[in-house]
Amino acid sequence: MSSSASQALDYLEQLPGTVHRKLYAQPSTALAVFRRMLPHTAKAIVMGMLFMTKPFAATDLDAWIQPDARAEREQALSVLESLHILGTETAPAGGAPAVGAPARSYRLAPVFAASLRQALMGSGSHRSFGVPCTGPPPPEEHEDVDIVDVAFLDEFARGQWEAILYYMVGSTGVYGTGGTGERVSSGTRTLLQLGNFVELRGGGRAMITQAGFTFLLQEVNAQVWSLLIVYLENAPSLKMDSVEVLSFLFMLGSLDLGTAYSTVNLTPTQRQMLDDLSDFGIVYRPSPTSARFYPTRLATTLTSDAGALRSGVLDGGGISSGLASGQTDDAAAGNQGYIIVETNYRIYAYTSSSLQIAVLDLFCRLTTRFPNLVAGKLTKESVQRAIALGITADQIISYLTTHAHPQMRKNVPVLPPTVVDQIRLWQIDRDRMRHTPGFLMKDFATRVEFEETCGYAESLGVLVWKDVEKRMFFVSRIEQIQAYLKNRARKAA
Amino acid sequence: MPKASKGVLVQCDPSIKAIICKIDAERNDFIIEDLDDETLVIKESKFADLQVRLDQELKHTIREPEESDSE
Repeated sequence: MSSSASQALDYLEQLPGTVHRKLYAQPSTALAVFRRMLPHTAKAIVMGMLFMTKPFAATDLDAWIQPDARAEREQALSVLESLHILGTETAPAGGAPAVGAPARSYRLAPVFAASLRQALMGSGSHRSFGVPCTGPPPPEEHEDVDIVDVAFLDEFARGQWEAILYYMVGSTGVYGTGGTGERVSSGTRTLLQLGNFVELRGGGRAMITQAGFTFLLQEVNAQVWSLLIVYLENAPSLKMDSVEVLSFLFMLGSLDLGTAYSTVNLTPTQRQMLDDLSDFGIVYRPSPTSARFYPTRLATTLTSDAGALRSGVLDGGGISSGLASGQTDDAAAGNQGYIIVETNYRIYAYTSSSLQIAVLDLFCRLTTRFPNLVAGKLTKESVQRAIALGITADQIISYLTTHAHPQMRKNVPVLPPTVVDQIRLWQIDRDRMRHTPGFLMKDFATRVEFEETCGYAESLGVLVWKDVEKRMFFVSRIEQIQAYLKNRARKAA
Repeated sequence: MPKASKGVLVQCDPSIKAIICKIDAERNDFIIEDLDDETLVIKESKFADLQVRLDQELKHTIREPEESDSE
């Protein structure tokens, strides 16, 4: 699963079951959650159970999964349960109950199962996959735009999204440009502040924050989700229903690029959203009152793995990487790679894009700028300044690697190893302690209890540290451990 | 029933840990649990504060070599 999916998944998991049930009423949402949010093992379980009419005994489910894949099974089941896709029943499921405790059995949430069946088999007359507009567009809407084709939509999405990124990078104020965000709407600027990506300093100038840098160096798909999650979290304060917002986003993910869709069947909330989404470049509307809208590539890759793969190749780009075609020269150069790194830490970047130069300036000391080239050097000071702002050495290395010039790509490895090692050393030099937020577990009554709980934490992949003598361990997440301990206590009682 | 306490796990060199303990000794408001020579748990709300204090402390003790500015 890519980082973008896991972000969205984290948000979904913390929603209450009532919200989930409302969401799953839309076939498009059920399908999007199924194909984008679930680990493969979970998908296999859902597919296997989709057409079962009776609850499915837990022991039978265990028989499906190989014993050595216990960690995957636990993870799949916990995701399914936290999304309320899978429910457990303790009543005997027809078969003879096991000795002592009643047999546990699983059942798919009926709403989810019904919607997913509808989505997969195309039944029902729901309109949750959007209503395409047929017939030619009214002439008055296309005075300044000739044809809305895929290239045009890509160009529009790239322009809008880069303006947002440039507003954030430009806010470092190195070039004296940007930071005022003429091209970025006030709603988007407020959203960036709410998401803690920028802070307003004296004179109304925006300053990028640590979270903002992390945002900037993510792949485009992950960036879009980060921003949308902030949008979702703030939807209630704008008097928008977050269920409607989410189902609209999931619907967008299932639309076709280059096709016009009608706003007729949208709710008032969703129409209000169209304005904001066109500010982000996620949808294009010929005019603010138009009865049609076009999803852009940013929208159609929201819930598909294909988009994530394509941009994943150019990971850490922060620039147009999700938008494969229809770019200007600047961005096309970005996709091909434009950075040369020498063993003496000098950097030459063949670019004239202000966004790319501003990103480089975050961690390089740039000295010279020519019409198509900037030159500079990676120094201890420049790298540590970046690290102080919250950028990691790995982010810098991955940015340099993914944007390496084609000439550099002939080398194996792409970057000179001395430079890569030195960047890491500069980080270690500064980061004198590793830190992990989480929970310390202690006061285990018996050694067995400690070892079993600790082993469970390890199989979930949340164990960070343990000390057998002291009977303590540290975990990064606690929800499942708590559930496990409660189950244990109940069994013991 | 085992107990859980929320915090930030910090793993570092014994020398850095000694400095953290020194900072904590002033008011005892950083450390939740001292685990071993290289590991401790810090209050989540005080972690950013601790980082700043640690940087200040290290500036006094470590001298950075002069950065050469030659091109």
